[in-house]
Amino acid sequence: MTDAIRAEPGQRDQLAPDDFRTGRPVNQRAYRAAILAFLVAIVGGIVAAVGYATDRTDVVLGLGLAAALGGIGFGLVSWAKFLDLDEHAVQQREPLSMTPQDVESFREEIELTRETVGRRKLLVGLLGASFLSMIVGFVGPIGSLGPRPRGERARTSWRPGSRLVTIDGQPVDSEARSFDQLVTVFPEGAVGVDDSQVVLLRLPPDLLTPRTVERGSVDGWVAYSKICTHAGCSVGLFGVDNRAPDTLRQLVCPCHQSVFDPLDSAEPLGGPAPRPLPQLALEVDADGFLVARGDFAGPVGPIAWDEVDAV
Amino acid sequence: MTRHRQARATDERAPRRGLVERYVDSVAGRVGAGSGLYKALRKVFPHHFSFLWGEIALYSFVVLLATGTYLTLFFEGSQEVVTYDGSYTPLRGVEVSAAYESVMRISFDVKGGMLIRQMHHWAALIFIGAIALHLARVFFTGAFRKPREINWVVGVLLLILSLAAGFTGYSLPDDLLSGTGLRITQAIILALPLIGERTTYLLFGGEWPGTDIIGRLYPVHILLIPAAIVGLLTVHLMLVWRQKHTQFTGRGATERNVVGERIWPTFAMKSVGLLFLVAGVVAAMGALFEVNAVWLYGPYDVAAATSYSQPDWYIGFLEGSLRLFPPWETRLFGYSINNLIYSGVLIPGVIFTGLLLVPWIERRFTRDKADVDREHHLLDRPRDAPHRTAAGVASIAFVSVLFLGGSQDVIAGTLEVSIGYVTTFLQVAALVAPPLAYVGTYHVCRVLGRREGPERTERAGIVVRDSGGGYHGVGETELDADGERTDTSSGASTAESERLRERAGALGD
Repeated sequence: MTDAIRAEPGQRDQLAPDDFRTGRPVNQRAYRAAILAFLVAIVGGIVAAVGYATDRTDVVLGLGLAAALGGIGFGLVSWAKFLDLDEHAVQQREPLSMTPQDVESFREEIELTRETVGRRKLLVGLLGASFLSMIVGFVGPIGSLGPRPRGERARTSWRPGSRLVTIDGQPVDSEARSFDQLVTVFPEGAVGVDDSQVVLLRLPPDLLTPRTVERGSVDGWVAYSKICTHAGCSVGLFGVDNRAPDTLRQLVCPCHQSVFDPLDSAEPLGGPAPRPLPQLALEVDADGFLVARGDFAGPVGPIAWDEVDAV
Repeated sequence: MTRHRQARATDERAPRRGLVERYVDSVAGRVGAGSGLYKALRKVFPHHFSFLWGEIALYSFVVLLATGTYLTLFFEGSQEVVTYDGSYTPLRGVEVSAAYESVMRISFDVKGGMLIRQMHHWAALIFIGAIALHLARVFFTGAFRKPREINWVVGVLLLILSLAAGFTGYSLPDDLLSGTGLRITQAIILALPLIGERTTYLLFGGEWPGTDIIGRLYPVHILLIPAAIVGLLTVHLMLVWRQKHTQFTGRGATERNVVGERIWPTFAMKSVGLLFLVAGVVAAMGALFEVNAVWLYGPYDVAAATSYSQPDWYIGFLEGSLRLFPPWETRLFGYSINNLIYSGVLIPGVIFTGLLLVPWIERRFTRDKADVDREHHLLDRPRDAPHRTAAGVASIAFVSVLFLGGSQDVIAGTLEVSIGYVTTFLQVAALVAPPLAYVGTYHVCRVLGRREGPERTERAGIVVRDSGGGYHGVGETELDADGERTDTSSGASTAESERLRERAGALGD
């Protein structure tokens, strides 16, 4: 008998011999606990059913179900203890490794395998090639999952003369806003288009660095792509740096806490972002509204491996 | 033949057969499961509280399947734009995706729907937590050693699948938080050399955000991943059944036996009880604790992201990796190895490859080849293998620092210090904490190892008292020769074990 079951020696001493002769020991406490638990479960089911009809469905139903399920669970565990088997049954492990007999009995199969597969290199090679060819045959439908990239990432909806409009479609009056406020804008006619989102800021003009002005700032207005160059979240937090409120400003991405310097071409100041936010060159049209001078110089947001020089 | 004759003989002696007996006979007798059933019912499982984590994972998966199926009856995997006009007034009139609208409907307009949704989410959090604890238990007790290397790999694959299930699941509602998570995932895939851009187009049906991803994640979440989990889970459990469970030393446990309770009735009733207890706890959590409040996050909006945006806990280490990794990029001949390749591909890649290779890494570093090659069924206490334990704690330290990094903004806000300081501190900690943890843990293990503890029975052998009152050892080979105590021990104890064998035999012999 491989499944010999017997008690572990030390445990025996704790059981009175009478328990074995007259019957099994019974755990009365576990018995009572099981009764109580099943009663709770019954009440829980009823509470759940009633709770469904109340206004507080989710809470009452949930707690009722919790009592029903938990009661059944606790009852079963207690019931398992009713017989008080407190077992230390012992079962022998069968050896898992191959015995010489096992190996011997495989010999014929191994020899047949060697004959059919092992020595037929041509067939094995052709089968492998067939599988490869079959996989190639399935590539087509996978390609149907999405269009081939055709340089969409290199351009956005910004065109020379595109008006900057807010999410409500309102153009931005170059005179209208006070300093140090952030507004999200899109090109007119492309509101909500992901790759064209832009943060527009009006900053004290004398704080802007010369290259920022050179790249297209008007009267303290600067515009940067709102897509973080790290992982593509929207860079939506703007703040006056409290270490030097008169001279420092920050643009922060809420996802991974990349910090950019809006006064200096949105160069990264901290966090994981490796590249500045592309700047949108601005000018003012005849009606006094802000417009773009053209598209960004390169792809916005996170880049693919071959897009690095375009930035 | 013999058995049939015996059965008839029993019938003649006892014309009335019990209900249980009749039922067992009617089923087992028709599928020819007699001897198999008998063996199965008497299978022995060792017990220890730490063996429960795997069971809890299994049972929360059962809860996930049940609640998830209910949710599929209402969810719509579509990004088609609709106007919300359900019961949640703050969002009425807002244009949302059909997916988001259906989740809102489940939450506010399907009676009891909120409960099922929250149970599903809580069960997912518990599922992955229980898997992580189970994995830690298996690691720190050395249960992955020969012959269980395959099951370790299956287990790590199950962990990866459960993370994938969690991520695809919480991305489905198309809310602001999960949409942001998908955006980040898209950026990581985009950064892959050579295939990145094409792959994102295939997955998302074009440039971000596209209109396809939710509809595609849906069958992955409810069909492909659960099917893979069920398949691997089956392999996992079959291997546990076949190889028999590991056990701690003591109570007569050796490398060649299993000491514990039999499947029937004790283990089975307790285990089924645990299923209901897990479900009960999940129901209570679903009733009482709000989770993933998508109505507060709002629908996904390409131009928005919120601060304090933390993913579900099990993605925290990845989030931290992205936040803590310095802004490095490698540029070569006009190409780049993007920052996200390091933080989003390389670091998790190293973590999971390391996990998969644990049994082989340990083999490599274990000097005693004879010990490596034998079968291990007795578990180590963590202190018994100080280097392994130290390596495990060091790895946990590293992943924990990453996890904290995932909430560095919350930490900074709570402590009212600059986020930059917290980030720098955690960057240093990611490098310094693992070696410190290693040295500290190793030291603690050595100190604990010198203390008195339960003897390793296998090596100590068993001491028995004979009828004359003398003590002498029983060698383990002697004990295990035919699985029974043959001999030398006292008459009284032989009689007692005889009675016990009878008791065991009463089950079905």
